[in-house]
Amino acid sequence: MQHMMKYVRKYGLLFTFSVLLVSIEALADLLQPTMMSHIVDEGVAAKQMDKVLHFGGWMLLITLGGALAASGRNIVSSMVSQRFGAELRQDLFEKIQGLSFESVDRYDRASLVTRLTNDVTQVQNFVNGMMRIFVKAPMLCVGGFVMAFRLNPYLSIVLMIVIPIVGLMIVLNMKVGLPLFLKVQNALDRLNGVMREYLSGVRVVKAFNRFDLEVDKFNGINKQYEARSISAQRLMAVFSPGVTLTMNIGIVAVIWLGGIRVNNGHTQVGHIIAFVNYMTQILFSLTTMTMIFNMFVRAKASTGRIIQVLAETNPMTEHASQAPVKELEGKGTIEFDDVTFSYEGPDGEPVLKSISFSCKPGETLAIIGSTGSGKSTLVNLIPRFYDVTGGAIRINGMNIRDLDAHQLRERIAIVPQKSVLFTGPVIDNIRIGKQDAEMDEVVKAARMASAHAFISELPERYNTLIGQGGVNFSGGQKQRISIARALIRKPDILILDDCTSALDSATEASIKRAINDYAKDVTCLLIAQRISSVKDANTIIVMDDGEIVGMGSHDSLLKDCRVYQEIYRSQIGKEVDNHASA
Amino acid sequence: MPQPNGSGTNNSSEARQEVNVPMAGRPGGPGGPGFGGRGGQKQKPKNFRATLFRLWGYLSGERKQLAMVFGFILIDSAIMLSGPYLIGVAVNAMVGGQDAVDFNLLHMVLIALVAAYMADASLSFLQGWMMAGISQRIVSRLRRTLFEKLQRLPLVYFDTRRHGELMSRLSNDIDNVSTSVSQTAAQLMSGSIALLGSLIMMIVLSPLLTLASLITVPLVYLLAKTITKRTSALFKNQQAQLGRLNGQIEETITGFQVVKAFNYEETTIADFRKDNDELRKVSTNAQIWSGFMMPLLSVINNVGFAAVAITGGILAVKGMITVGVIASFLSYSRQFVRPMMDLANTYNILQSGIAGAERVFEVLDEQEETEDKPAAIKLSNPKGEVVFENVKFGYRSDVQILKGISFKAEAGSSTALVGPTGAGKTTVINMLSRFYDVTGGRILIDGIDIRDYTRDSLRRAFGIVLQDTYLFSGTVKDNLKYGKPDASDEEIRNAARMAGADGFIRRLPQQYDQPLTENGGNLSQGQRQLLAIARAILAEPSILILDEATSSIDTRTELRIQEAMLQMMEGRTSFIIAHRLSTIQNADTILVIDKGIIAEQGSHDELMEREGIYYGMHRNLTV
Repeated sequence: MQHMMKYVRKYGLLFTFSVLLVSIEALADLLQPTMMSHIVDEGVAAKQMDKVLHFGGWMLLITLGGALAASGRNIVSSMVSQRFGAELRQDLFEKIQGLSFESVDRYDRASLVTRLTNDVTQVQNFVNGMMRIFVKAPMLCVGGFVMAFRLNPYLSIVLMIVIPIVGLMIVLNMKVGLPLFLKVQNALDRLNGVMREYLSGVRVVKAFNRFDLEVDKFNGINKQYEARSISAQRLMAVFSPGVTLTMNIGIVAVIWLGGIRVNNGHTQVGHIIAFVNYMTQILFSLTTMTMIFNMFVRAKASTGRIIQVLAETNPMTEHASQAPVKELEGKGTIEFDDVTFSYEGPDGEPVLKSISFSCKPGETLAIIGSTGSGKSTLVNLIPRFYDVTGGAIRINGMNIRDLDAHQLRERIAIVPQKSVLFTGPVIDNIRIGKQDAEMDEVVKAARMASAHAFISELPERYNTLIGQGGVNFSGGQKQRISIARALIRKPDILILDDCTSALDSATEASIKRAINDYAKDVTCLLIAQRISSVKDANTIIVMDDGEIVGMGSHDSLLKDCRVYQEIYRSQIGKEVDNHASA
Repeated sequence: MPQPNGSGTNNSSEARQEVNVPMAGRPGGPGGPGFGGRGGQKQKPKNFRATLFRLWGYLSGERKQLAMVFGFILIDSAIMLSGPYLIGVAVNAMVGGQDAVDFNLLHMVLIALVAAYMADASLSFLQGWMMAGISQRIVSRLRRTLFEKLQRLPLVYFDTRRHGELMSRLSNDIDNVSTSVSQTAAQLMSGSIALLGSLIMMIVLSPLLTLASLITVPLVYLLAKTITKRTSALFKNQQAQLGRLNGQIEETITGFQVVKAFNYEETTIADFRKDNDELRKVSTNAQIWSGFMMPLLSVINNVGFAAVAITGGILAVKGMITVGVIASFLSYSRQFVRPMMDLANTYNILQSGIAGAERVFEVLDEQEETEDKPAAIKLSNPKGEVVFENVKFGYRSDVQILKGISFKAEAGSSTALVGPTGAGKTTVINMLSRFYDVTGGRILIDGIDIRDYTRDSLRRAFGIVLQDTYLFSGTVKDNLKYGKPDASDEEIRNAARMAGADGFIRRLPQQYDQPLTENGGNLSQGQRQLLAIARAILAEPSILILDEATSSIDTRTELRIQEAMLQMMEGRTSFIIAHRLSTIQNADTILVIDKGIIAEQGSHDELMEREGIYYGMHRNLTV
């Protein structure tokens, strides 16, 4: 629980203040039966009207004081619980932003969304509930007990028997409840997951007309969520009446014993009424406590889920505070030295095997190879999305593991294979690359990416809104926006991961020319499928099944690399021959 | 969220209300329609009663069970009403003091009390048990209705909204409804009954004292009205804000890689902080306002109590009433005020539920994909002749993407669409598959307007491989048979083999049963495309649409599967969008689309001879 201590320290004082207010509130509640017993015994029974008015007035005054305290407590507790919730959510969000890919990959994305929303809400509800009632309920309970004991120690024996029984029931309730609520939250994860998937894949669902399947999938999980929620809720249906019954039997016992005491002349009737009233009050507070404990169980399940994320350590030491961070100097000479990588760690199936090459500023290194040969994996190692499992990657002679990942990424711009755009205006999406970019810089980058022309034709030009996932733009347009986003960064290292696949060749050629002019000192890594895209590169790496099977210029590879020749033939065979004959 | 619902015990109701308040103040999500949506809509005050009534409609399947719960509550309330009366009798039995306690009466009363409490516990248990089922089934039905509705909404709905915002409606908003229903349904019933019962008992005991305690009624009414007026707006705002936040969360988590790559964490976090803070402010306000309800109600409660005590005192002094009656009456007056407080508080909680329900109903009221015409025909065994007649379309009314496209694709022929990006190629496909409907002209399949076919049968005729490959979580096999659920393992393997996917699937640790995850790592983009192609092959469509289906696949693999592709295209009308000319030059017809019109049309050789746009594009590819 040490992750939660921070909040305890921060909000402890205000929390205590609200507890103080709650105490006043509880005190007011506690005094009421006494006042009432005074009214009945000294006023009504003794037929003393002034006593009735006297105590009645006091009672109203006490009530008013209690209400003032309650209102104050309401404001404080609302503020504290909401602030706490917002801060917890913020911290969790920041934590997730700071996690490595490896850590994030371990979670289902929908589950992360649930944790950030629903789970935080559960904890927040509990904190709020606790500030409102939890303190008050035990106080009323203890207070009621003390008052009852002072009123009549003999009758209090009943309470001493009843309360431990109730306590036992509450403990049992929690024991049974925790796993049930964990299950509820897990089912909610899955419900969110199906919904999210449907939304992302809605085109495929429509294209294959598989609504039945989606609805079935959803119904299955919906039913499960329903069933689990019902079991968790039914637990309350058992315990709550149980607690009430136990206390009510106690009341019967008090009246019975009280009757005997009255008969013996040990007790007044007004005492019995007051005692029963205290019992009722204790009953209220116990019922409340059962409920709070129920909320607590749910909050505990959620806290566990939140802490699981907060406790993720970043194996990558992205912001290497432990190791002395080295300053990345000079331009970006990239060097791969016998790099091996596996997504599953050192013992896993290697995706890259003994990769060695280097690339200097101003040079373009192209990577070509078959589907699944590890091209994207290779370039993803450079910004340290993942760390190598063997060998080393050096930039300007410095092992990137010794560099601060943040600082490293500052020098790199990557255009991913799959264009990811965020909802919001086009300009904001381009500015992701350089947040303080001026308008003319944005336009310049867009021009280089051959995006300016089509953006200018949009009704709201650079302020046109992009829909979720960029659906309102064509594949090629998305790619060009995503290229502009990278170019505006003026990086030392530019990585283009097969990002021109949806572009026609004329556009691609013009983007390439623009990059060549502008990126004189840039180290450029380029993944492509087409020979025409790679043939001008300084060096071409041919990859097959995680290994480099050829490296050199277009001409030399054509001479001695079998795989390259095959790739060449697969394209040239059709296109160039035809062109030559045309 | 499972909430303690009415245990039916009057004793516990105060405690119950107290818990409810914080629950009602929970942040929940309506964000207005994402972007480009219909603005103005969200702040419009909606009809509380209409929404409530509509929500009531979802109880239809539960009426019998509800009636039973109602019955239990009725009996339980009657039993519990006797509680204070019996205690009053018990007190009266000992009011004589020393040596004058009527033990016969006392014992009888106590036995009756035990019986009453036992009955109360059993009935509370039954009520709680049943209400848990009822409330969860209702929201479960609501969730299902919402999800089914999503199946019928047009693509444009999803294209213009943030997914996280929609997710928030399904989870947070419906959750709010659930909380409200489970908390209020039983309370409304038991509250009304207790109110009525107490009132009767009070009148029977003493009409004068009853009058004294009635001064609380207008006070409670005024208070409830003042508070809920504010909270209803605040709750709506809160749900909207939560939805917005959820949208942001979902998107940043989806775009994790880009955020990381561009060191964009700080801005993302700052944006999040802004929305998170906004949510906090709204929620705090909602919570504070709704939290005022209970303390103020308890003041009113005690005013009533004092009024009764003072009046009772006066009457007792004048000897018009016994002490026992006052004791009973005070209990009843508590029982009278408490359900009134319950009802007022319930009304308050209901505001939060209604705010959630309204956001759910908002989706349910969205316009669906245009329904099939009444006389719509089923498209069965289509030959696959496709004709576009002067087709016009724009996603927005002010930007025309297609400006009159006309062509004819013979049954079984292949048509390639080429042209610069953004020219409208994918839009042509969107028209053909009726993802969007044309705004001008028409499209005919086998001579009949596609809008005259049932949408279901029309889409079954297509096999589409989309530009953005989407695979679902689940195994490789599940994904492959998405278009043909009853496919045998043999068929699945054949399709994978044809698509050139069999090889890498076999190298996966669990082969065809390998689970796919969204989080990358296990399949490359190209491999995903191969799976998508296999998925389309398996569906055995009459019309095949390949939109950049091979863009991430290396050319050697492409060459290898070309044979299979040709085989697949045989006898099927096919449409191919590609930038690699090698993929398309075997097509029977090539349409060059530029700026929303067909600029050139013909076979590869014809177009090369013409030395127009196509010729130019081809030259660019020259190695």
